Amino acid sequence: MLTQFITILIIVSIIGCILYGRRLIKTEKVDAVFGNPERAKGGTHWVIVGASAILMLWLYYSWDIAKGFYPKSANELCQVAKINESLLGLKYQFPIEEREFKSTSIIKIENKNLKKIANEINKSPDLNDQQKTILVSYIDRTSKLIPFLTSEELIEIDTKIKIQEMTEQIKQLSINFQKKNYPFETDAQKNERQKLINEQGGWGIVTIDTGSGSIENTIEIPTAPQTIKGLKFHAAAKELSLINDKFFKLRNHNPLFKSSIKQLKDDIKAYRKSLNDSEELASDYAKNIVKIARRIEFASIYPPNALNEMQEAILEFDDLQNKEQGGLRLIDILLFPSGTIVASGATCSEQGSGRWLPKPSDTFNKFVLLSKPSVGYKNVPLLWIEMVDVSKMIGFFLPDWIADILPGEYPVHTKEGIVKDNFKSNVLKVVTGDFKLLKVPVPYGHIWDSFMRVFLGLMFGIIIGVPLGLFMGLNRFARGFFDPLIELYRPVPPLAWAPLIISVLGIDNSGKIFLLFMVSLSIMIISARAGASGTQLSKIHAAHSLGATKKQILRHVIFPNSLPEILTGIRVAVGMCWGTLVAAEFLAGTTGIGFVENVAKKYFQWEVIWITIIIMGLLGLLFDITLRKIIDKTIPWRGKG
Amino acid sequence: MKKILSFILGSIFALNLSISVANSAANEVRVAYFLEWPSPNLEDMMKKNYAKALGVPVKWTSFNTGVEMTEAMLAGDIDISYSQGLAPFINAVKANAPIKLIDVAMEYGMGNTTCVTSNASGITKANASELEGKKVAVPLGTMADYVFAKSMEIVGVDASKINVIDMVPEDGTAALISGDVSMACLFGGNSVQAATEVGSRLISEEEAEAAGILGIDITSVTNKFMNENPGMVRTFVEVTHEANARYNSGKSDLNSMAKASGMEMSKMKNTLDGFKFLNAEETKQSMENGNLSGFLDGMGTPTGNVDTSFLPL
Repeated sequence: MLTQFITILIIVSIIGCILYGRRLIKTEKVDAVFGNPERAKGGTHWVIVGASAILMLWLYYSWDIAKGFYPKSANELCQVAKINESLLGLKYQFPIEEREFKSTSIIKIENKNLKKIANEINKSPDLNDQQKTILVSYIDRTSKLIPFLTSEELIEIDTKIKIQEMTEQIKQLSINFQKKNYPFETDAQKNERQKLINEQGGWGIVTIDTGSGSIENTIEIPTAPQTIKGLKFHAAAKELSLINDKFFKLRNHNPLFKSSIKQLKDDIKAYRKSLNDSEELASDYAKNIVKIARRIEFASIYPPNALNEMQEAILEFDDLQNKEQGGLRLIDILLFPSGTIVASGATCSEQGSGRWLPKPSDTFNKFVLLSKPSVGYKNVPLLWIEMVDVSKMIGFFLPDWIADILPGEYPVHTKEGIVKDNFKSNVLKVVTGDFKLLKVPVPYGHIWDSFMRVFLGLMFGIIIGVPLGLFMGLNRFARGFFDPLIELYRPVPPLAWAPLIISVLGIDNSGKIFLLFMVSLSIMIISARAGASGTQLSKIHAAHSLGATKKQILRHVIFPNSLPEILTGIRVAVGMCWGTLVAAEFLAGTTGIGFVENVAKKYFQWEVIWITIIIMGLLGLLFDITLRKIIDKTIPWRGKG
Repeated sequence: MKKILSFILGSIFALNLSISVANSAANEVRVAYFLEWPSPNLEDMMKKNYAKALGVPVKWTSFNTGVEMTEAMLAGDIDISYSQGLAPFINAVKANAPIKLIDVAMEYGMGNTTCVTSNASGITKANASELEGKKVAVPLGTMADYVFAKSMEIVGVDASKINVIDMVPEDGTAALISGDVSMACLFGGNSVQAATEVGSRLISEEEAEAAGILGIDITSVTNKFMNENPGMVRTFVEVTHEANARYNSGKSDLNSMAKASGMEMSKMKNTLDGFKFLNAEETKQSMENGNLSGFLDGMGTPTGNVDTSFLPL
């Protein structure tokens, strides 16, 4: 319902905005020439069109529009797919989807293979003439097997009758298929089917096991036929797959063929036995010739016209079922772009863009679910608040050795088995945070962890990179000393450090933050240095002549001058950090958006993958907007002189 | 405006047409396999026996994980996956991937897939309950993940109380050595060897076998390829079983296998010693009511994804 509404809304808004845009051009009185930035201002309506277009593409290629407007189409297409699956093997025998008969192509390939082996044998320097003649004679005999199978006269009556039977069955099915009440369902069958339908639920349904807090993929397409039309296809598919099985069990082996292939096999067997170890090559060739003979034995090779009637019957049925599909075909072509629904045995699945591009509605539902703190992902919520005692933070910041360096000993238990606290142990309690104070809410969860990693990596990069960069821009020693180091490390992609991280820094946050720190550091150094060395000399001279100290010049002239460069550097670094975050969280994943994505990939949870992608995009955007605000506030003079 | 509209329509049309046009004529068969995971049929791969038996060229591509094999099969780039782990296969069919299990590639004791506790942590089977609340490295979604769950059942530890960290075996080993985790569940000869240098197996190989912890690698095939070329699938399975029979009777060319799997001879022999290559009857038994079917049921696998009809019986 919601999908339908949104789809219509999007279409209306796109058309409306385009019309508005066109009218605006006609009525607007802006005399800006081409190249004047004035012309690019405004245009909220184009923002709406852009956003709507993305959403529309998503709705369309995830097949959500099909689901919204024709919720039963997936189920019906599933039944059609079942027919296609059972017909595929049979169709494949004839030039329906292929260019030639299966028999023809097999004969072509095997003749080619025989020729190839014959050539190899004739050219082989390691075979003697006697071996060559024997092997070539086997090849001859193998190729002469084929006419036994393709001859119209030799085909057995029994085989002919069986083919006739199958053809009749297909024809009968075609006749029945046209009848309105085709599968002739009884009330009992109907009730049973209804029960199945109620059990299986709708298309794209996702069940959640809140007990274990896991989100599992479930049946995405209901398989039991929901509609009368679907039932028809379902029943026909069943019959067809029986015929299909029968056909593939059938062998066109007449006595002549059987005796000659047996003779050939026995001869080759005897010949291989007679060879000694030094003649392995000849034995190998003989073995390969037998293999070709066996392939010919098991292939469905028939005389050129033996299956004509059957082919016609299949084509007739195929036409019928295509006609029967009617409007469904149109839905399939228009609303199921780049892919369709495919049956695999009893179940159906989406194959194509609908598979890896989850429906917006499903994604949204799953997101709502993931956001519930009780569900989360892998027992950790996306973002939630935990009440943490302030004492824990005090314990975190105060180093534990404060207690150790105090005079005295830690308490020892008494004879009565009681441990009495003394001053030293009480101090230890304070520095380890083992006491109660008021509780404050602290956010936690995947999103918060990722956010903190990026934030800390960035902070460390700024704290170390900016002073170092300024120093390098102003001081000969610093420039000369650090330059080779920085220039050597800067071009290394941050992920190149990844293999070392776990061994050196362990699996906790330190490794991940270190990676992000490496990313931001080089950017911050470069930008701070460029800022410092780009300060206009006249401003420094002016400050000097007014009697400013070195510190004052640095604080009031050079630093503000390099701020635009530094802040731009931070913006670039944020982007780069997000880029590295996912890879950093792939290592030793415990929490974080990158971890969620990596695990979801292993379980083919496409919705979760897209949710993480969207969250990362939004968080990156949030970071960037915040920075833009900071830039506007702190350096209003940027770009103005 | 007309240009824009026609461009949009044109590109939508082009995208719609980009439905995977796979090789229905089967001019070649594309097979996925693992390096450093030796099997007798690698000899046939080296000697191009598959191509000879199938009558068309066979393209072998090596993969790192079974999950990647599934992805390649779904994208239509691989027809047959040889020695895919059972765990990735189960995850795939649970996500409705149209692939079928047609053969057991090998069964193996969990000698090369196991959980190792570090000596520093002092945890053994006897005091395994201490693992609760500790950090454990597990490559999620793999056979090692399954072994982890099973091992915890055996030693009676609540797996949900353990702090599981998702790490590939190489990283898990590194974390175990550095002491970041108390236990690492791993697969692969090199990783297990490195880990046991600083730790010991939580459950010995014999105990694991007795408890029914068993690794099974399988051969899977895309539905499309199976329907279109049943003969080729049968031939593939047949050649594989011939190779297994040859290996079981000690006639395999180990040099060629070592070369194909990219392993040293001694290491490969060690690995191979842990493998059991079944014959066709044993395979059918395993698939219908033996180890494999038990495993599939135990993991809650949807039925109808196993097909025994291609076995050379």
